[in-house]
Amino acid sequence: MILENLKLAIASIKANKMRSFLTMLGIIIGISSVIAIMTVGNSLTKAEQESMSSMGANNIMVGVYSASDDSVTLPTFSEENMQSIVKAYGNRIKAIGMESQVGSGTSRSQVSSDSKTTSVTVDGVNPGYFKANNISIIKGSTFSSSTYESGSNVAIVSDVFAEAIFGSVEDAMGESVEINVDNNYTNYTIVGAYKFENTGTLGTKKSTTFFIPIKAAENQLHNSDIYGFTVVAKDGSDSAALAKDIKTLIKKQIKIEEGVTLYADSMQSYIEEASKMLGTITIAIAMIAGIALLVGGIGVMNIMTVSITERTREIGTRKALGAENYQILLQFVTEAIILCLFGGIIGVIIGVSLGLVAASAIGYAGSISIASVLGSVGFSMAVGLFFGYAPARKAAKMNPIDALRYE
Amino acid sequence: MQIINGKTQFEPPVIHAENIVKTYYPGTENELEILHGINLEIQRGEFVSIVGQSGSGKSTLMNILGLLDRPTKGSYFMNGENMNAAPDKALAHIRNKSIGFVFQNYNLIARTNGISNVELPMLYAGMSPRARKERAIQLLEMVGMQERMDHTPDELSGGQKQRVAIARAMANDPDVILADEPTGALDSKTGHLVMDIFHRLHEEEHKTIILITHSNELAAETNRIIHIKDGEIVPA
Ligand SMILES: Nc1ncnc2c1ncn2[C@@H]1O[C@H](COP(=O)(O)OP(=O)(O)OP(=O)(O)O)[C@@H](O)[C@H]1O
Ligand SMILES: [Mg+2]
Repeated sequence: MILENLKLAIASIKANKMRSFLTMLGIIIGISSVIAIMTVGNSLTKAEQESMSSMGANNIMVGVYSASDDSVTLPTFSEENMQSIVKAYGNRIKAIGMESQVGSGTSRSQVSSDSKTTSVTVDGVNPGYFKANNISIIKGSTFSSSTYESGSNVAIVSDVFAEAIFGSVEDAMGESVEINVDNNYTNYTIVGAYKFENTGTLGTKKSTTFFIPIKAAENQLHNSDIYGFTVVAKDGSDSAALAKDIKTLIKKQIKIEEGVTLYADSMQSYIEEASKMLGTITIAIAMIAGIALLVGGIGVMNIMTVSITERTREIGTRKALGAENYQILLQFVTEAIILCLFGGIIGVIIGVSLGLVAASAIGYAGSISIASVLGSVGFSMAVGLFFGYAPARKAAKMNPIDALRYE
Repeated sequence: MQIINGKTQFEPPVIHAENIVKTYYPGTENELEILHGINLEIQRGEFVSIVGQSGSGKSTLMNILGLLDRPTKGSYFMNGENMNAAPDKALAHIRNKSIGFVFQNYNLIARTNGISNVELPMLYAGMSPRARKERAIQLLEMVGMQERMDHTPDELSGGQKQRVAIARAMANDPDVILADEPTGALDSKTGHLVMDIFHRLHEEEHKTIILITHSNELAAETNRIIHIKDGEIVPA
């Protein structure tokens, strides 16, 4: 009987193509907008997750900040802090990257070699910095412990920089460049080159950086305060737990004034938080789109009611031929559910296509949210059941002769 | 009374109406009594016609006999069973199995082909798709519609539609066929063609047939003519 009803419903839907399409339209619009938004949201979340993990899913950012005014002095981190961390948790750590904020990170320094000048960001870093930040050295090597500890005037530059100034990475090795930070001129010897990668999220360009040993920055640039560093946990070790341990350890070593916050956050927790936030936003927007779905559902009820009124005589005929009430009810409810299901499937196809196009238009790889696709198809069937039931029941309960005589 | 295998057996009449009254809007000031106590008995195998003026209550009576409507007063027995107390579900079942309707306006399901229309009563009876289709084709052949079985009603002439409707009425081999002015919308030649099918059903299939008609000529072809005047059965 169920199968017969399916056949009856499909036959009836096919027999009234235009009406069926109009009924589905509301569902199609509702579902496709929900799915499009979910697809864009999902693509965004996925992309953010990937971009954050590319920055190091195992990374732990340790630092200090003051939430209040400038009356507090921020404590700075030292080489000793790093060493104590390595000593305590070395077996769980892959690398530690330290970076002193020369030129406050954003200010650019003039580099001159012969007549060519270019602007760079100058950073004092430790040898572990490159590993910790996934920066690959393509020529030469990171600072040797002797040059690092003595604070020699050596530098590691980007391939982009080397090519722009010296023609090639090879030609740049051993060359000397003059750096000017706040009218403080110093010569550095290039000992290595790293591969510059534009890894910024949302398309921000990471400027090419001139890396020198922290001590060199301290000696010559009078600015080497380290307010933060990155610890990279070994693969498979719990970075959140490690972050907690490091925070506890550092807290004992540096003096933290009132109003200053010490943080040690794992990238994992950032990713989770960001995903959660994006997810919430997506669901909020999808719920607004859900109103479209509700309107679609009311449209289904409307057209079902009209369709049933229009087919009153048919209902009378079916009853004269021996259809029981439940068979009429089942026929119309099945019809409503199938209509909405078709509408839902068409809506999903349109929504996914729209979502993927929109995601790629704003520069993301599309990612389909399977849960929302299944949810939408299920939901549209529920809409059919819910909004089809009342008119179907009315049809089923009709007196056969009244239905037959209906004009 | 019938004689079967040499024994006399009593078989209840297919249709037995006792003092049937139909009142519209009962208990209101618009109260309208249409049938004023109809007594009627129709035996198995009879071909009966009902004639009377327009508005005399023929269709009203037919709808009660066809279990599409319930009488306000009186008792109605089908095959000896009292229908008054039967629930709607039972009535649907009896309509399906024991009654075949032929309407003046055909009442075929729109945009649905002949075979599917004829299959419908069998579908509601729970017959298998295969058996249904086989019988539908048989019936459509019987009414001479084998060439247009897969046409939808809007592709058929009035006479063709009525033939499909008669095939549908025969689907579950009913005890009685109720035809309310089946030729009313047809020209007389086509009307006679349809009438011939009823004669064949009566003679070859021994169907009990009740026919409402305005044509004295057609009524004269039946076994018995019942005259209705102002909601009452009157002598000819
Ligand atoms: N549902 C109804 N409500 C009120 N009055 C009705 C209803 N159905 C029928 N009638 C009235 O009952 C009377 C008999 O109608 P019926 O249809 O039985 O006539 P009929 O003999 O079949 O006429 P015709 O030959 O024109 O078909 C008419 O006066 C009609 O107005
Ligand atoms: Mg009538």
